[in-house]
Amino acid sequence: MTATTRETSAGPAAERFDPLLLAVLANRFDSVCREMTNTLLRAGRSTVLSVARDFSCSIVTADDRLLSAPEGLPVHVFGSHLATEAMRELHGDRIADGDAFLHNDPYMGNTHAADHTILVPVIVDGEHLFTAVAKAHQADCGNSLPTTYMPDARDVYEEGALIFPCVRVQRDREDVDDVIRMCRRRIRHPEQWYGDYLASLGAARIGERRLKEIVAKYGVETVRAFVEEWFDYSERRVADALARLPSGTIVGSGAHDPTPKLPDGIPLRVEVRIDAEAGRAEVDLRDNVDCVPAGLNLSTACSINNALTGLLNSLGTEIPCNAGSFRRLSVLLRENCVVGTPRFPTSTSSATTNVADRLVNATQAAIAESGDGLGLAEGGMSMGPGISVVSGRDRRHGEENVYVNELVLQSNGGPASPRADGWLNFGTPVIAGMMYRDSVEIDEQKYPLLVRSLRVLPDTGGAGEHRGGPAQEVVYGPLEDPMTVIYTVDGKVNPPRGVRGGGDGSPASAERIGADGVRSELPAVSVEVIEPGDWIVGTTCGGGGYGDPFARDPERVARDVREGWVSERAAREQYGVVLERAGRELTVDLEATRALRGARGEGS
Amino acid sequence: MRYTLAADTGGTFTDVALSVDRADPVIGKSLTTHGRVFGGIEGAIANAAEAVGATSRDVLAGAEIFVYGTTHATNAIVTGRTARTALLCTEGFADVLVLREGGKRSPFDFATDYPDPYVPRSLTYEIAERTTSTGEVRTPLDDDQVRAVLEQAGRDGVEAIAVCLLWSIAQPEHELRIGALIEECLPGVPYTLSHALNPILREYRRTSSAVIDASLKPLMQRHFGQLQRDLADAGFDGALLAVTSMGGAMHVEDLIEQPIYTVRSGPAMAPVGALAYAGAERPGRDLIVCDTGGTTFDVSLTRDGRIKETRETWLGGRFVGHITGMSSVDVESIGSGGGSIAWVDPGGLLRVGPQSAGSEPGPACYGRGGTEATVTDAALVLGLLDPDHFLGGRMRLDLAAAEAAVDRIAERLEIGREQAAHGIYVIASDHMVQAIGELTVQEGVDPRDSLIVAGGGAAGMNIALIATELGVDELLVPRTAGALSACGGLFSDLVEEASATQYATTRDFPFDVVNGALDRLDASLEEAAERLRARGVRETRVEYGTEARYPSQTWELEVPLPTSRFQSPDDVAALADAFHDVHERVFAVKEPGQSIECLYWRARLTAKLDGPTVERREDPPAPAPAPRLVKQAWFGDRGWETPRYHGAELSAGVSLEGPLIVDEATTTVVVPPGCRLQTTHYGYIVSIGETSAASRPEADR
Repeated sequence: MTATTRETSAGPAAERFDPLLLAVLANRFDSVCREMTNTLLRAGRSTVLSVARDFSCSIVTADDRLLSAPEGLPVHVFGSHLATEAMRELHGDRIADGDAFLHNDPYMGNTHAADHTILVPVIVDGEHLFTAVAKAHQADCGNSLPTTYMPDARDVYEEGALIFPCVRVQRDREDVDDVIRMCRRRIRHPEQWYGDYLASLGAARIGERRLKEIVAKYGVETVRAFVEEWFDYSERRVADALARLPSGTIVGSGAHDPTPKLPDGIPLRVEVRIDAEAGRAEVDLRDNVDCVPAGLNLSTACSINNALTGLLNSLGTEIPCNAGSFRRLSVLLRENCVVGTPRFPTSTSSATTNVADRLVNATQAAIAESGDGLGLAEGGMSMGPGISVVSGRDRRHGEENVYVNELVLQSNGGPASPRADGWLNFGTPVIAGMMYRDSVEIDEQKYPLLVRSLRVLPDTGGAGEHRGGPAQEVVYGPLEDPMTVIYTVDGKVNPPRGVRGGGDGSPASAERIGADGVRSELPAVSVEVIEPGDWIVGTTCGGGGYGDPFARDPERVARDVREGWVSERAAREQYGVVLERAGRELTVDLEATRALRGARGEGS
Repeated sequence: MRYTLAADTGGTFTDVALSVDRADPVIGKSLTTHGRVFGGIEGAIANAAEAVGATSRDVLAGAEIFVYGTTHATNAIVTGRTARTALLCTEGFADVLVLREGGKRSPFDFATDYPDPYVPRSLTYEIAERTTSTGEVRTPLDDDQVRAVLEQAGRDGVEAIAVCLLWSIAQPEHELRIGALIEECLPGVPYTLSHALNPILREYRRTSSAVIDASLKPLMQRHFGQLQRDLADAGFDGALLAVTSMGGAMHVEDLIEQPIYTVRSGPAMAPVGALAYAGAERPGRDLIVCDTGGTTFDVSLTRDGRIKETRETWLGGRFVGHITGMSSVDVESIGSGGGSIAWVDPGGLLRVGPQSAGSEPGPACYGRGGTEATVTDAALVLGLLDPDHFLGGRMRLDLAAAEAAVDRIAERLEIGREQAAHGIYVIASDHMVQAIGELTVQEGVDPRDSLIVAGGGAAGMNIALIATELGVDELLVPRTAGALSACGGLFSDLVEEASATQYATTRDFPFDVVNGALDRLDASLEEAAERLRARGVRETRVEYGTEARYPSQTWELEVPLPTSRFQSPDDVAALADAFHDVHERVFAVKEPGQSIECLYWRARLTAKLDGPTVERREDPPAPAPAPRLVKQAWFGDRGWETPRYHGAELSAGVSLEGPLIVDEATTTVVVPPGCRLQTTHYGYIVSIGETSAASRPEADR
């Protein structure tokens, strides 16, 4: 099955679109998305939205082509067109001005059940022109356990999430109360859910309002012509970028760590075919294992968008990501494949993280190995205790008060690139640094927990000419009542790999510190209840390095040592850099460094 | 003679605004002298004094008030020349400035290195202590450990110290004790306590405020001290004030204790100047204030006579720079100006900026070696600038060089020279339109309800086009537009602020607790008022506000308080209603019936300075003089015969139809076809017509 190909409308441009207006309107549409994003961030209630920013806004054309998503998480938005397709299939010509739809069905184009997507059709003079899309990761979605990720769930029934296959949630701009009542009944912390729903709705309505203003100002025909021209322009940009890659077929691989249900983990195989002359690229995911009886399968949307992300990560920031650029990028999927199209009732509960992260990594690392200056190393991918869903009782606000939310206190180290070191606040490969991190004070104010420490760990980023981002360690625990922490550590067995001679990033882990101070290891995938007085420790992965560490600028190594990111010993052993210490000042001993680095050259 | 003076020292020019016996200001300009700013200031004063038949000595000796604006603090931060500053933080959280709050510009950007922290790890010291969110001390402070740390910091040669502990806003005892120990162990080393400077939640922001403030103390003490001495030597014995990022002024003696308020204070003064002129010309209008220089375009807003503020001011860019964390005038700043360079991307799209030719080599037409087409080159090719009268004739522009540069762009796009120039001009203007959009529509403000006020040297060049795009019907370019910030200094008020963190919910409103917090704010401002009275300031007023949210939201919205104290449930209901309205305006939704949580309470004291007042005047109709010359200029898709006037020759009360161009001494006002110009005592009002041809060509479709 080919999921994203839509052939170029190669017809001759009857009239040339004003190139100036093209630039102006492209800015306008992106600015509408940014305004939607700002609305959702600031109006959201749960910290996973209002602080961590785990949501994305996009604009899709009425015929289901992604038009704009400038600040979205790639994992969220590249499949937006599948969600609007579902809206049209189900509601067809009954779609009316004032409607809004709630969609979270992973078998109909959504990413996973915890991402509630609000779709607002933009209708001008009775005609459906665009759809404003706001997709937000919920703090809770009614799963059988208080978490939005169920990597061990056998199927969708064991997940237990409420599934809304694109249902109408507003008519004439008024809530359809039947749906709201269902959510309020089954979703934990209904007040928080409703506030988050309002924030998403507000974002989509703001998008609708602005899109109508654009159409009123420029006229339907001009806007329509713009859309086609913009897609053509985007296609030219991606073709131009692909032309600079070497043609050929690259095979990449990766593996998700073992989990309780899958003791052998999940092996991945990615085949990337690049035709530089034709300016096309294809990612073939069909040669992979069948869907697994666990929540780690990717939904169709996640299979497409994460393969595309791995490719686009290698093409620079200038490529507009929309249906126009996607004409040159295809993803080949097959049914019932762990990275493909799952059949109902296969669980895709963790489709936006674990295997998705592995898919991004495998794709970009494969491209890196195909030539110097290309691709990226692998980025850290653990969703351990510092990026987990916590729940319990919060007696500070009354005996019956409960809480549930995803914490985003820490980040994995980012992948090194041919041009820069790995980004510290990377999150995971699907997040790519776009999310924010929680404030310790906000988390402690909102939830009954205490953070003991949060620090960057030395010698964790993979060594390289460009170094992987370092790992972080967080230690926290509950105040008065036990706290349930549900997490999925990946990257403990197979940490992020370096490329082109770069070292691997450090592995992730979860641990417990007992009231007696004894530190013990916890399972990688687990539901842990932490008692007051105990602490849970999350250590994320360091990112993989890029290139030979002996080629790294010694000044950069010295800077890393000063900041405590690299030890003096590692500077010498891994980077061949000798440092001199005078009091607290640290400088590079250039001569000794040259000698040390030269010795390796002679030795090999 | 009674003089009032204000100076704005920028990177290139120092502007001075001078008022004699509270009359309208006159302006002077001189090159900034970076080593010792007084040289440039004196030059600019002399320049302004000439216009009123005086000398700089007369003016300085006779000046009662001197309001000083400077980019010194901002530049020191940007170029890393601040003090060697230590950070003292809670044990376990030494990476607070490294970890920041996350976020990145683009998911596909893997070419940018992660930014360095404001204070390096080697100067960050962990203090064994911990307070919880309720203010309960969990790990008490150990004086001996603090002393040991301070001794180490002393050996490490620190010149300033910032202290920011977790939850110091709930319980400040530990920070206060460390302050006392600093005075004991490292006497004379200036320090900043985070809870005292900026009592906000979120450890990264509060820490960032504290380290920026501390790092500026030695430097700004020296800077202000030098200026005080130089002014005294020149005979000045009035009050020296400096402008702040809050859009007001403070006495220099007070500001030395909180120098962070001088950061980005320059752009905060343009709206103050704009409010003064617009208040006379178009009272009651909300304003969009645009300040266009050679490399940056700054926008700010006023609403109901108040300047819009923000807590998100970044130095060096969002995500990669440093946040000040302070409440300050909300200035949207983009790298777009006369020097922005045009280029064609690999997809064949015309782009303008963000690269800038700056002032060296500058636009191609400056003839200083620049070869790339800039916005100024485009304006020259279009005939909007007069090559012989640029900057009041101070610089001659090379038209042929501009044409050659623009032609290279035109060839790549396969369009004509003027069309390409117009494209550059339109796209640069569109970036400015977007910047205004970010500030207005995102806050629920419809720009069409506002009056645009334009300042800065490049102000009038494209402002009519920007207004047209935004659907704004009228704009004002003051005659002093070229020094709008300096004028703002002259019109500014004294502003001091106090804030308190005190949680309160409207579900069960703690009347006494909130009124108690407001009492504390009043007490703190009363101290400030006392100081002001001692310096002869009479008239003061206090306004109150709160930052509030729906339960479990994390970002607050600012709501003015309907009353200075809460007496009855009706007062609380009025506050909740005000919040629902603001939430709907900004976010398109509200939740009526939901309770409101208030986090911070603020009080702001404003005192009138004895500066000039701008009053409304009737300008009887006056005849238009003959234009200086008539020349072709391009608007939209064709050339128009366009008359040019000198500003000095246009008296108040003249009404003219566009197209026309006015050359003022420090700016150029372009009035496109379809627009109308009305001259007034204070400046130029341009009405945007329905049929304004300022907009882009609508041909081809």
